[in-house]
Amino acid sequence: MNTIYKLLSCCLIVGMICQTSCTIEEVVDPNNPSLASVTGDPTKAELQGLMTGLESRHRNYFGSATQMFGSFGREVWAFFESDPRFTGDWLGVGLNGETYPDFFSSGGTYVSPYLAVKQANVIIDAANASTSLTTTESGAYEGFAQTVKGHQLMYPLLQQFQNGIRTDVGDPLNPGPIVSFDQALADIRSTLDLGFSALSGSGALPFSLSEGYAGFESLEGLASINRALAARAALYAGDASGALSALTASFMDLDGDLQTGPAHVYGQSPDISNPLFYPFDRPTSTILVVHPGLIEDAEAGDARLSKFAQRVENPASSAGVEFPGNYQDARWASNISSIPYIRNEELILIYAEANLMTGNTGEAVDAINIIRNAHNLSDYSGDTSMDGILEEILHQRRYSLWAEGGHRWVDLRRTDKLDADHIDLRDGGSIFTQVAQRTSEAN
Amino acid sequence: MKKLLLKNIIVVCFILFTTLTVFSQTVSGTVLDPNNDPVIGASVMVSGTTIGTVTDIDGTFELNDVGNGASVEISYLGYRTQSFVTDQDNSVFNIILAEDVNQLDEVVITGLGSGVKRSNSGNAVASVSAEQLTGNTAPQTLDGALFGKVAGVQMSSNSGAPGGGISMQLRGVSTLGAGSSQPLFIIDGVYVNNKTIRTGRTQVNGASGGQNAATQDDAANRISDINPEDIAKIEILKGPSAAAIYGTRANAGVVIITTKRGEAGETKVSLSQDIGVANGQNFQNFGIWDSARTATYSGDDPDELAAQSAAESQGRNTDWEDFFYGETGLLSNTQLSISGGNQKTQFRISGGLTDESGIIQRTGFQRYSARANVDHRLNDRIKVGLSSGYYRTNSDRGFTGNQNNTGGSIGYALAYTPSYADLLPDENGNYPNNSYFNDNPIAIRDLGENNQKVDRFITAGNVDFTLFSDESSFLRFSVTGGVDYTSGNSFVYFPEILQHQAASANPGDVMRGRDDQFNSNLQGLLIYNKDFAGFNSSTTAGVVRLDQNSEFVLNRGRGLAGGQTNIQWATVQSIQDQAATQVTDLGYVIQEDLNFDDKIAVSLGMRFDKSTLNANQSKFYAFPKASVALNLHNFDFWKGDGFIDNLKLRAAYGQTGGLPRFGVTYESLTPQLIGGSLGAQVGSRAIDPNLEPETASEIEFGIDAGFLDGRILLEATYYNKTVNDLIFDIEPPESTGITAIGTNAGDLRNTGIELALGVNSIRTSKLNMYSRLTYWKNDSELTRWTNPQTTGGFGPSLGTYLFAEGFSPTTIVGTPSGTDNPLGFTVYGDRQPDFNFSFSNELNISKNLDFNFLFHWQSGGSAINLSALLWDIGGTTPGWDDIVTQEDGTETTRGNARLGDWGGGNTGAYIEETSYVKLREMGLYYTIPGATLNDFVKRIKIGASLNNFLLWTSYGSYDPEVSNFGTQSIAGNIEVTPYPSSRRIFFHVKLDF
Repeated sequence: MNTIYKLLSCCLIVGMICQTSCTIEEVVDPNNPSLASVTGDPTKAELQGLMTGLESRHRNYFGSATQMFGSFGREVWAFFESDPRFTGDWLGVGLNGETYPDFFSSGGTYVSPYLAVKQANVIIDAANASTSLTTTESGAYEGFAQTVKGHQLMYPLLQQFQNGIRTDVGDPLNPGPIVSFDQALADIRSTLDLGFSALSGSGALPFSLSEGYAGFESLEGLASINRALAARAALYAGDASGALSALTASFMDLDGDLQTGPAHVYGQSPDISNPLFYPFDRPTSTILVVHPGLIEDAEAGDARLSKFAQRVENPASSAGVEFPGNYQDARWASNISSIPYIRNEELILIYAEANLMTGNTGEAVDAINIIRNAHNLSDYSGDTSMDGILEEILHQRRYSLWAEGGHRWVDLRRTDKLDADHIDLRDGGSIFTQVAQRTSEAN
Repeated sequence: MKKLLLKNIIVVCFILFTTLTVFSQTVSGTVLDPNNDPVIGASVMVSGTTIGTVTDIDGTFELNDVGNGASVEISYLGYRTQSFVTDQDNSVFNIILAEDVNQLDEVVITGLGSGVKRSNSGNAVASVSAEQLTGNTAPQTLDGALFGKVAGVQMSSNSGAPGGGISMQLRGVSTLGAGSSQPLFIIDGVYVNNKTIRTGRTQVNGASGGQNAATQDDAANRISDINPEDIAKIEILKGPSAAAIYGTRANAGVVIITTKRGEAGETKVSLSQDIGVANGQNFQNFGIWDSARTATYSGDDPDELAAQSAAESQGRNTDWEDFFYGETGLLSNTQLSISGGNQKTQFRISGGLTDESGIIQRTGFQRYSARANVDHRLNDRIKVGLSSGYYRTNSDRGFTGNQNNTGGSIGYALAYTPSYADLLPDENGNYPNNSYFNDNPIAIRDLGENNQKVDRFITAGNVDFTLFSDESSFLRFSVTGGVDYTSGNSFVYFPEILQHQAASANPGDVMRGRDDQFNSNLQGLLIYNKDFAGFNSSTTAGVVRLDQNSEFVLNRGRGLAGGQTNIQWATVQSIQDQAATQVTDLGYVIQEDLNFDDKIAVSLGMRFDKSTLNANQSKFYAFPKASVALNLHNFDFWKGDGFIDNLKLRAAYGQTGGLPRFGVTYESLTPQLIGGSLGAQVGSRAIDPNLEPETASEIEFGIDAGFLDGRILLEATYYNKTVNDLIFDIEPPESTGITAIGTNAGDLRNTGIELALGVNSIRTSKLNMYSRLTYWKNDSELTRWTNPQTTGGFGPSLGTYLFAEGFSPTTIVGTPSGTDNPLGFTVYGDRQPDFNFSFSNELNISKNLDFNFLFHWQSGGSAINLSALLWDIGGTTPGWDDIVTQEDGTETTRGNARLGDWGGGNTGAYIEETSYVKLREMGLYYTIPGATLNDFVKRIKIGASLNNFLLWTSYGSYDPEVSNFGTQSIAGNIEVTPYPSSRRIFFHVKLDF
């Protein structure tokens, strides 16, 4: 009897413990909303969050492109002394013009852009799935997303060049193949075209963008950015007439302010700060310096020299480069200054080059002179052969577009001038044509 | 499930119940040791029951109501168990216990609620006593006290900074980083937290930007909070065959720690004081730059030559290594304990204070601890116990290791700074700018703060009901509950006046971290024990639950008002990281231990676990185990020939699990501010809905043999441990915008051998010597891995780890492209050593003088020595300017030759072998014999000891044990100018009252 009583009490104890401890609740992420919460039928507020997220993803390549492509094209030297590879690997010292897989600090122009592409693809799907949007509204979302996607795909392609890249990555678990440079560029141009047609119509946007889009906050405004990017892509594809026709619908203004263009915006933490800003002339071993060739090769009086500030007290030095870095970037007032990513100045230079390619040298030289005059230089008076004018355009691009995402390296490669005559190898390095394919792409 | 369990328990209970009988006799006696001194606190138990008592101060005991013919067992730690059988004619028994040199009677853990004698264990037993742990010297941390003491345990200090930080791997790699790389630590039944709490130093000094989980904070893992002096015993369940009953968290092994408890008898007070010094060891001797070296390095730069000669003439050409690392650390360790009790209640309370300063100014470590353990027997049937500890640690680990663009690492800055640099502050305390790097390391040392304070409460309660018992059986119900609360506060600070801060957009940087971790666990077990027909059977069934909750936040302020460290005085205030985690595990266990007359011992068990960390949170996973021990010497056919006196064959099999990390099963959006608006970014992690936990299976065989009356004991073990469904963040093509999917990426196999030989070479009344030789080796191989990939480190040109089928997961690869592995890199080595060997010796003279030492030899293994790379770049390598002839016949400096070799694509230039021999511990103690003392002081023990005193290695930096990334399952052994390790010397006094 006693035994049974004890047995029962024992079972009671076990039961009580079980009551409190044998059930567990499903745990969901306590820190973040899930992706699934915005992919079904998103509200406008949720879409706005994704669009703002896209704008942020959209800016992350810029610092890396300027530093790494800029080092390849000897626009800059990255005197970041804590890691010798910024002046060793990036300048190709001992590498004979060949990088290696997962090349040092090269993810910024590869992984970051693809994160923006992923974000754009999610928005395109979400905008088409949302039941709270009109057709024009969903076109605006899709149009901006396609525009950003086209722009972002350009950077991995510029890095990988003849290795090619994937352009069809809508289904992350089942991506499309790696396609050739030419095919990828064609895909980028059709992505931009899709964006352009989605942005048809006029009027206000159903979403808001940052200050970086001041003056472009309408369907027409975004369409003109889209066409500017399309003109750049056409130029890279060697399609001069395509470039000229894109320019007509872009925000190009031959008489306008050369600075006009959409910008990436920056802020103090937890925002991201301007990646190119360094306080002036401080004693530091971490500084992006101006390649001395830019100072030496400038025409006398070129107002663009004001982009460079001389480090009087603290010339920078590097263990990897035996020459000092006497100049730093002077363009940014602070670490929250915005950076334009495509400007009227570039569009005019595209206009010049496209005209040259179509044999319209007079129009080309006129456009060159717009740039020259704007920078306190007299009209062009040099060699008027095709190649002479092309060299002049490349020279103007070198100074006008200095440290704006690594133009110089890309320009020399597409014009077949990636050689020691155009690349100053005083640092003992070598010239890269492209970066090795990333190991993850073999998976 | 709940109902089912209840039903099962009822059925089991009914089947196993037998009737109660009536008792009749009282027995008493005295228990003595071989010197005829009373043994206090020896356990006196009626076999197969819970009836028992302990001996008092005179070694006497009395047991009432003992059945006629019952067998009574007398046991005491360190002595062979003896028994006698009661009979009506005799009620007084005097017992002399014999010493158990090889600890065959020690009870070792086999399950959650059960243990068996060591001689009946089917597994290789790894236990470390308090004497072995802290008897030789005063180790800094609990894990640090285990170096070289247990076969199969691969340990490595992450840096030499005071306060710990040790990586421990049991029987090779058990996860690739998804699960816990560290064993599960359980103290008195509490699942204790051994995480590393991030401080954000890695962001402040730029070692890694953003919210990078692979921290380079150089913070300690939190087992370092535990006071090693509190520990009575550590048992290590090295592999799944021993740890299966711990289920889903036991893949990396289980370390079971028992704290010291009170014993019945006179109250004992013990006070000990250790005083010591620590000095940096294995200095590289950077030396002083002369004009020739300055000319060579700078290419005859006149400014540099002038600077060198100015320093020379002003007498400040300084050996920075001595200057920074040359401090003598003072070490003090004070411990007080009071223990005692009667046969109903026993208690032990203790307090400790450890205070150590480092070999770099303004670094150090303090630990304050208090503990109370109480046991009380309400009556014959109910026993309660409480084990409660409070710990506070305070560590200042300074700035060493990796940094980027800040100069916020003394070692890193020194690599670039020649001896003639002008760094000393002027009379007003202004620090000159360092023209060779981002900051002046003296200013970093004197003005920077890197402090972490941790408060810890670890409390366990246990109630043990004997539901019934009779002569041949008993049923117990045992409930254990535990709580581990960890509260961490960290403070990392660079004032605005530092050179690199003044050069930044917002000078002055402070990071304040706050972490609350609350773990609780509850376990209820029914244990039924029965003797029948020569068999003893012990059956356990129960339920186990573990909850872990944590809240973490790192706040940061930049652009500080002069001298202010409150974040509200910062221009830019931000939350660096905030994260909550919640985890619950639930498990059911059942185990059967069967012993036939100490001839055959079999253990069978099964655990079923589910966890909210799994992709499928409601699915139960099963983890079985089985083991058998054959004590051949107890069989009738065994004819003792006087040479081999015991021989055991054992085999064990078991499975355990490894859980995904928190967050791996979520596909989330991440917040990002831009231009005043909050954006939702699509995360870069995707999920594998079919993700399963990792499963490790191990089979272990062994033989234990004793020779010459127990004077020689040989233990040999072979194991084969496979880990299937390794969880790893595979990298899909990065072009998908997904950089990680936690998936079951492959399988791994570890095979190894563990040998231990104990020799009691001298055993006389005046002299006793015991030597122990231990050898262990482990080989790992990925047996299934689809897409080869690299992981860890700083990219291939600086050395990284390769995962590919047929390769060890700790394979180190680098450039140039080779053909000997699937990713086209070159293989340079393996982090894991070829083997470990340790030799310990204990010598006791006239019972009063003890002399012990422990040598530890690790052979093989490789590390990535990036300190040497930085030294070569800065020209500070010892002998940098020696002239060598290169392969092409040209001459250059030794430093430039190696740097050029690396720059030409040979990563191997900086990958080095990590073989070493260390004198881990050496101690000499004298115990002043009791007779010479007064009544008040019972015993005085004085001594001196050495800790990590000698190091022999060809490795080209301070210590071949190093990990810039903290505790890592794979990517340890990467060094970036770490805090040098130190050798420690102690003097000890211990008084017993």
